[in-house]
Amino acid sequence: MLLMGEVRTGLLQNSGEIPESLCQAVLGLLSGERVRVSRRPIMYAVSPDQLTGVDCRLASASRARVRGVGTVLSRASVTGGRVLQGSSHIRVVRAGSDHRLSWSHYLARPGVVEVFGKVRVPDLVEGFAESGAWNDCLDLGSVSERFMDAVQGSPLLDRKAPFKSARTRLRWVAVSAEREPGHEPGHEPGHEPGQEGPGIRFVLGRDRVRTLRLVLPGGLTPGVVDFCEDLALHDWLLTTLQVIFERAGVGTATRAEVTARLAPAVDHLLHLWMPAARLDDEFTPFWERLERRPGFSRQWLSLVARVRDQIAVNTLALLREAGGW
Amino acid sequence: MLVFAISDKGGTGRSVTSSNIVYRRALQGSDVCYLDFDFGSPTAGAIFSVSSVARGTAQGGMHRYFEGRLADPHRIDVWVESDREGLRGKPPGAGQMVLFPGDEGGGEFSTVSEEMLRRCVRLFSRLEEEFDLCLVDLSAGRSFAAQMALAATARLPGVPFRWLVFHRWTRQHIIAAHGLVRGRQGLLAAGVEHGHDEENLADHIRFVRTAVLEPDAAELEGLRETQKAWLHECDRELRELARKYGVGRTAMLGKIPLDPVLQWREQLISDEDVLSSQIANAETVAAFDDLAKKIVDDSAWEAL
Repeated sequence: MLLMGEVRTGLLQNSGEIPESLCQAVLGLLSGERVRVSRRPIMYAVSPDQLTGVDCRLASASRARVRGVGTVLSRASVTGGRVLQGSSHIRVVRAGSDHRLSWSHYLARPGVVEVFGKVRVPDLVEGFAESGAWNDCLDLGSVSERFMDAVQGSPLLDRKAPFKSARTRLRWVAVSAEREPGHEPGHEPGHEPGQEGPGIRFVLGRDRVRTLRLVLPGGLTPGVVDFCEDLALHDWLLTTLQVIFERAGVGTATRAEVTARLAPAVDHLLHLWMPAARLDDEFTPFWERLERRPGFSRQWLSLVARVRDQIAVNTLALLREAGGW
Repeated sequence: MLVFAISDKGGTGRSVTSSNIVYRRALQGSDVCYLDFDFGSPTAGAIFSVSSVARGTAQGGMHRYFEGRLADPHRIDVWVESDREGLRGKPPGAGQMVLFPGDEGGGEFSTVSEEMLRRCVRLFSRLEEEFDLCLVDLSAGRSFAAQMALAATARLPGVPFRWLVFHRWTRQHIIAAHGLVRGRQGLLAAGVEHGHDEENLADHIRFVRTAVLEPDAAELEGLRETQKAWLHECDRELRELARKYGVGRTAMLGKIPLDPVLQWREQLISDEDVLSSQIANAETVAAFDDLAKKIVDDSAWEAL
């Protein structure tokens, strides 16, 4: 029926970026299995998948009571030895029976949550996108955060992060463009009226919550999870760099202060921007669409240029003050 | 950094002073948050002029978070949600100021379970990622909240913490403040039980004197000479007593002068209250400002 998930992204609590061996160690805390690492174009380490059993309500826009039983699939990852993500998702399907089966049934279907009764997809899509932590429904975000907390609490990290930053929350939901039997025609969740190209809607909300609605032309492929994590990572980078720049006090603080406040961005963030680095080709159009509007890389590059220009003019001014020329 | 505000007796002005410290620190450019751990009588909403949570929140605050009934406690961006015009809108250069209110109709806990403690560790650890200063306002006296704070900080060796013990400048309060730290079941004894090193913990505790009447203050000009002499004598005796009980100058981080505005209107004191309406004293704001700087200044916290 649909896929839904939540990615939380934050700064790894360590003074510097951590090497591959340490990535393996902190992510390996979660289970005995192997941590997967890819090194190009940027180091990316991801924990083995974790399962969490759930039997609870799913959020629905109509406030209908929708019960889901199954397992949540989660993983934690570290990009560039610096940015930590916790990601959880489920595939929602209609239950074949009208009562809960034994756990072995659900454990054999990792990441699948079966819902009972009559359920409308748009109702679940809107409900999930709207729901906050303040209700009794399935909260994938807090599952994700649990795994992040496990990593952040590792004694191998020194907890001396170079700057403070808030975690961001990306809540996503994907439906297939292919009609399923019994699918009611109507407004597709990712499409805005008159919109062309791939179905994607990305909305910045309050309290660092972002919602993403996708319509997948090729059906519900697992690659969508990578795409959402990649988007969450770059959204966090952009958000964090914006905050650092805003707080640098350009124009009000002294030049030395501005430079000192911008320095952590240069040391720890600027090299991490690599959108769509590890994505399946079928998701390239989604990134391209986001690059057209709102223009992620455009905003990032402009901000990076401002950071570098500030540092350059401040350095020149300081040299002049030092009596060089 | 985690800062715990505690007092032995009620009515010390602990909440209003620590709220003002948080406010000053935010104005100085740090990202700050204030956690209302006074589960029995949450009042922080009123101090920050957020009327919707004046007596705690109905949307799930600290108490319900510890009960395990929600994943994230209700958070309030004071710069957005305060009813006071002077507080709405973040001034340029200021940091975030977030309030985590208590629950309406909460209540003190009667025990600290392992699960509550884990939740506390998780909360402190997450907030430390985001904020430069997290001020935790504990209720007066020896509470389960204080026990939980000691136990949680013992499990977070990488997270810096400091304690502020608030007391009024009177004989009873000085003795009580001493007892709260060094007495039986005091902070040090309880801290050791939870795995803290006594000496190290003691180095992270400082005292803040509140409602202090300086014998030389300008307001006292009208007093008779005999009254002045008597006041000086009282002050000298109190200083002597404080020194004897380890609550003297070296262990003191700051003092807040007696200010009627703080007594009658328990709120944040803005610069406007001093400059335009002139209802508050400039010395009070200066004292808050000074405390807000010293709280994070390592040289003020060197080992005694």
